[in-house]
Amino acid sequence: MSRQTSVLEAQNLTKIYRRGSEEILALDNVSLVVRPGEFLSFVGPSGSGKTTLINILGGLDNATSGRLKVGGRMIFDGRKGLSESELTRIRRQVFGYIFQKFYLVPTLTVEENVLLPFAFFKKPGSPDGALGLLKSLGLEKRTRHRPAELSGGEMQRVAIARALINKPEILLADEPTGNLDSKRSEEIGHVLKSLNQKEGLTILLVTHNAALARMAQRTITLRDGRISS
Amino acid sequence: MARRINVYQVAVKNLFRKKTRSALTVLGIGLSAWVLLSLLGFNRGYEAALNKDIDNMGFQVLVAAKGCPYEAATLMLKGGTGLRYMNESVIRDILRHPEVEKVTPMLMQAVFDPNKGESGGLSAYLGVDPATFPALKSYLKFKQGGWFTDTQAHEAVMGYEAAELEQREVGDLLLIPEKNIELKVAGVLTRSGTQDDGTIFVPLRMLQKEFGQEGRVTAVGIKVDRRADITALENKLYDLPDVQVVSMAQVKETIMSLVSTAKVMVLSIALIAILIAMLGVVNTILMSVIERYQEIGIIKSMGAMPWDVFRMIWTETVILCLLGGGVGIGFSVVLSKITDILIRRLLPYTPTGSLVAVDSGLAFLTIGVILGIGLVSGVYPAWRASRVRPLESIRSEGE
Amino acid sequence: MKNSRHPAARSAWAVLLSLLVAIPLFPAVGCDLNDPDRDVKRLFPESTGYRTLYVSVAGKGGPELLHQIEARLGDSFKGLYETADVPYTMYQVYKGKDLIGYIHGVNQKGRYGGLQVFLALDLQGNIRSFYFQKLTSQVAKLLRDPSFGRQFEGLNLKDFYGYNVTTAATRGESRVAAIRNPAPQAEDDFRAALRAVKKNLILVDEFLLGNRYKE
Repeated sequence: MSRQTSVLEAQNLTKIYRRGSEEILALDNVSLVVRPGEFLSFVGPSGSGKTTLINILGGLDNATSGRLKVGGRMIFDGRKGLSESELTRIRRQVFGYIFQKFYLVPTLTVEENVLLPFAFFKKPGSPDGALGLLKSLGLEKRTRHRPAELSGGEMQRVAIARALINKPEILLADEPTGNLDSKRSEEIGHVLKSLNQKEGLTILLVTHNAALARMAQRTITLRDGRISS
Repeated sequence: MARRINVYQVAVKNLFRKKTRSALTVLGIGLSAWVLLSLLGFNRGYEAALNKDIDNMGFQVLVAAKGCPYEAATLMLKGGTGLRYMNESVIRDILRHPEVEKVTPMLMQAVFDPNKGESGGLSAYLGVDPATFPALKSYLKFKQGGWFTDTQAHEAVMGYEAAELEQREVGDLLLIPEKNIELKVAGVLTRSGTQDDGTIFVPLRMLQKEFGQEGRVTAVGIKVDRRADITALENKLYDLPDVQVVSMAQVKETIMSLVSTAKVMVLSIALIAILIAMLGVVNTILMSVIERYQEIGIIKSMGAMPWDVFRMIWTETVILCLLGGGVGIGFSVVLSKITDILIRRLLPYTPTGSLVAVDSGLAFLTIGVILGIGLVSGVYPAWRASRVRPLESIRSEGE
Repeated sequence: MKNSRHPAARSAWAVLLSLLVAIPLFPAVGCDLNDPDRDVKRLFPESTGYRTLYVSVAGKGGPELLHQIEARLGDSFKGLYETADVPYTMYQVYKGKDLIGYIHGVNQKGRYGGLQVFLALDLQGNIRSFYFQKLTSQVAKLLRDPSFGRQFEGLNLKDFYGYNVTTAATRGESRVAAIRNPAPQAEDDFRAALRAVKKNLILVDEFLLGNRYKE
């Protein structure tokens, strides 16, 4: 397969939320291109639209207008957005997600949590088990533990492993260190950087943490729903 | 070896999140399943036990002296001498009918026994004809001895429990109080599981003589020819003067209609219990879905389709119902004796023998009903869960 | 009374009621107190509660124990109803947390019916009181008279070892010899009562007193 020049292309994305009679412009004509293997961070004050943008780019939400292509496929062309089922199919193939809260299933072990996506979908080429991935993240001794027995940093690493098990093209990380102390935050930062540099994984990171943002190759600042730099 | 995990395993583990809540829900279903299974078993067992009791009376039709039945019972309760009598000649009239295969005359007499119980009670004796009675009660077998040696003999044949209470064996004596008549035990019957176990049988002629009731009987038992129309015979017997005709089939019907009212009531209660238990299931699963809103959103983000989520949540309902059904069956089996006692307390008349006949077929039916209702109940929470959009659920935590 | 539209239904009531009234089903035979709450309080007015135990010879020691008991009784267990698997109900009587005595009854064949002989005992196995819970006799009034039962008070199993249940002879210093039969015409019931008391005391000794009186 030929290497794509962009894994993600957004043109004039706008998102308007309606709250009763009020209209809120969360994103205002945002355009952006993400290349394969890029590590991009999004920063900006609260309410700047960075999470809204990343959600739209990540197939978690539809824009109000604009165009979005993911992996060369038109996801949104300014008219009707995709149905939930269609979005799910795309998400499966392309994206992995990690969030501020780890959202691990408390009754499953670390290994089972990482394998959970396989209960619903196994992408061809995905590994047979989780052990290799867990080992690469330094969790080989914790496979049988439950989330309650892990530290915050370990839990986020498990979440990362889970996000990667189906070999996504793009990893979306929305405030992944929001619940961690500075030491653990740094750890996660290094993990992400390593994944990007060694595996060539495309990463889109939203963060308030300046140090973490600096680990990315490129930082995009948003303000009032627009890219300011 | 490659490890996999599937939706069903996840569902099972989800139920362990709130163990107490899951356990209480299962217990609720179990109790309603117990009620349902016991009722179904009772439906089957009661009728079977009643049939056995009635069949074991030996005769299909009973002709008794005419009179107000309530008056007779009241008089008997008070003094034991209020029975109505028929002339023995009625036997001849009965035998005229070709449908009649066999008849046997009976005389019931009761006396007050001051030694009975705390402050005295009735002792009853059933006079029977040894020539005709045994043929109509062929299931009666002897543990010791046999029927009377003579139609006028001062002898008694005792049902097993009557003999056991009095510690009587063949050759021992019995005393008819008030009359101070000694009887010798000629035979002790084996347990039949019928009213006969508590009966003291004496020769009809002897009883008539000692109680001054020569030529009189209180009832005549009739065995009807197999090919005959019992209803037609009954109608003809109604024409006999001063008698009332009791068809055992009618007795059964009367009892069953008394009982069916109780059955309908209990069935309604069982269904209400099941619906309440199911509401418990819906509540449990729904609460669990709401608590896991974000987690479900994440699962959707991992690539779970709405049907996958629906399946997962629905499976939790199925598991709760199956466990509850199993617990209910366990209760039925372990507590069958207690259930029997409870039913006997509730009903005015209970035949001998086991009242609740539970078998694997009924157990499966119960599980089927529970599962069916559970599946329907589980649709809403599962549908709610399947509709969760990842973004909304994650955002619901809020920034 | 005229035949109603449903004469059979009305007749069914007659049959049912007569069945219920005239031929009651007898319960399975044991020897329990008719009303334990009332009877325990009557026999031990100072009591506050009781505990019920169910034992049997078959359950404790089987055929070997049966032989031992028969040897102590001086007679074998007879007939259909005196067997090793008969259940015995024993009552432990309490005052607060303290055990203060025992109550036990046995079935015994009498002349015209089963006797049920109950004993109330102190902790040493001495008889506090004796009474017939069940007795069928033309002279039942004489045997049930309290003066008859009072003759047993203070006696224990040691006294009854001096009484031969088959010959009715006493030996040595046995106080059983002093017990008078108020109804000579019911000698067999009188002797049955004495056999019942001896058997009662042996069973209590075996199951409750730890064979205090074993010869």
